[in-house]
Amino acid sequence: MADTGTPNATSGSWALEARGLGKRYRRGWALRDCSFRIPAGRICGLVGPNGAGKSTLLNLATRQVQPTTGELRIFGVPVDDPAVMPTFAFLGQEKPLFKRFTVADTLRMGAELNPGWDAAAATRIVRSGNVPLHARVGTLSGGQRTRVAFALAFGKRPDLLLLDEPMSDLDPLARDEMSTLLMAEAVERGTTVVMSSHMLTELEDMCDYLLVVSEGRIRMAGDADALVPAHALVTGVARDGSLPPELADHTVVETRLQGRQFQAMIRPKAPLPADWESAEPSLEEVLLAHLRSPDAPSLYTQGARVEAEGTQAA
Amino acid sequence: MSTTLTEKPAETDSGRRLLRGMPWLVVRQHRVALVCVLGLTLVGALLILYGRNELVQLLDAKGWPDKDAGQPMENNRVYEYVGSILGGLPLILAVFIGAPLIAGDQENGTAQLVTTQSATRRQWLIAKLVLAYTLALVSGVVLSALFTWWWKPYRSVFLSDWIDGAIFDNTGPVLPAFLLFLTAAGITIGTLIRRVLPAMVVTFLFTTITTMFVWDELRVRLGDTQIFTYPMDTELPARYAEAYEVDRWVGSADGTLYGWGTCAEATEKAQNACIKEHGIVNDVIEYLDYSQMAPMQWTAAGILLAGTALLTAFTLWRVTRRPV
Repeated sequence: MADTGTPNATSGSWALEARGLGKRYRRGWALRDCSFRIPAGRICGLVGPNGAGKSTLLNLATRQVQPTTGELRIFGVPVDDPAVMPTFAFLGQEKPLFKRFTVADTLRMGAELNPGWDAAAATRIVRSGNVPLHARVGTLSGGQRTRVAFALAFGKRPDLLLLDEPMSDLDPLARDEMSTLLMAEAVERGTTVVMSSHMLTELEDMCDYLLVVSEGRIRMAGDADALVPAHALVTGVARDGSLPPELADHTVVETRLQGRQFQAMIRPKAPLPADWESAEPSLEEVLLAHLRSPDAPSLYTQGARVEAEGTQAA
Repeated sequence: MSTTLTEKPAETDSGRRLLRGMPWLVVRQHRVALVCVLGLTLVGALLILYGRNELVQLLDAKGWPDKDAGQPMENNRVYEYVGSILGGLPLILAVFIGAPLIAGDQENGTAQLVTTQSATRRQWLIAKLVLAYTLALVSGVVLSALFTWWWKPYRSVFLSDWIDGAIFDNTGPVLPAFLLFLTAAGITIGTLIRRVLPAMVVTFLFTTITTMFVWDELRVRLGDTQIFTYPMDTELPARYAEAYEVDRWVGSADGTLYGWGTCAEATEKAQNACIKEHGIVNDVIEYLDYSQMAPMQWTAAGILLAGTALLTAFTLWRVTRRPV
């Protein structure tokens, strides 16, 4: 895989661009040496185990935390510049809203605090879920509350929508409804979406771009369609209870010995030996293999990598 | 109330609303607290008007100041109510306005909600502080002005001395400064603790300790005491009637001071012998004059306002720097 970016890329066409980004808390690095970029207009899944740094990354992007090292840009604007604020919307894990506000008050807040507020769109999202405008937010169900939070996010008319575990506390019906809403709105506006999630199936359905984080580092970044075919799940006969030396010709993500058989998730770099059986893994298998083996070399598809030296070179 | 405000959501964009943007949000969020404090201020103001009017009529009927008016302020219901409001207001502002102001949003995550709209954290914080400080200032200035207007002309019939907290802290610039300081303290404590209930408890303790112990000690030290010497066995001149006596001594002709009880002997004979032995000829008082009240009050207000400024700067620095 080529590690260099597309030569004709201007920095405005990247929705999110990190260069040497790191955040250290008192207990250690939550995120370290992150350099990646996400092209505009994609639905990007942010995947990783708990504590991998997903929330830290989203908090850095939404100015809730300041980076210890490096920089982060949204559509070319550094996040420490307040001018970046109208360009993104954020939906936190808890989806906090003022519980004593009515739905109408909540939307009014959106109007008062955001210059490009789209009242019609926000009201439409709320109405389409039959959420009464006069109801207090505290009396709404989880699904209704999420809908109001979505209305607030989309009413801002963001170019980049950042979501932290948006569906985690919803029942299957509400989850389906919200996913549909999210996809419809995002596609209609061409909004770039970055969403962290535990649910791999959710990602498989919705995301066309992936950012895999584990132990504070980027493991994979790139097109979902390109990341998976880069891998092969091979099986073959183990010799003397150890792995065959031919594996060294490829990038090995994960290996497993089962009796006289071995199984390995690899990124092939050379033709595979004829006696190996090779299969294309599913997205889930690739992700799990990477999350299980944090030491495996990271993978960036075309354009996803940024060199630390600067944009112009990329 | 909320229904009238939100009846027609389509009107959200109309320009005829008084408040816009962040000020609208903080007023909407804290409107119950706002109404409560302003209502309490109004009740206090009306009580003062009523109490003063009642006192003036009573004093007129008795022919005061030419004739003795007795003790009109003793068991005076209205004065007691006013006293509870003036005494309770610092606590209410610190514990119920200051402490939850930022901590509430930190606890509920709404700080994150507001600061990921298009306004910066600093703008949000400033709007919040302006709201709380305006509230403290308005109720402080109104109540202090009215109470001073009641107390000052009729201070001789009030039971408390001017140096007592009931008077000194509730008149002139002290009350507004006090309310500002304690509100700022509550906000700072809330910002540090980040949870509403513990912040309220700590603020309550802080306010109680500050007002009951620290401030009482500090108040009498705000002015320089003066010394007045007069011959033993004579009356203290009437011009010192309003002076606050810090200490009392006995003194010899050469100016040496002895403690008031130095010659408190069991028998008169022994007492006289003691007086003779030490050459005591004078009574001496160490006092704070009533004319020192205004400078002392401004000094107090200065200290409290400086404290408010420090706490505000700290809160601004901390909240804009740290994640909410």
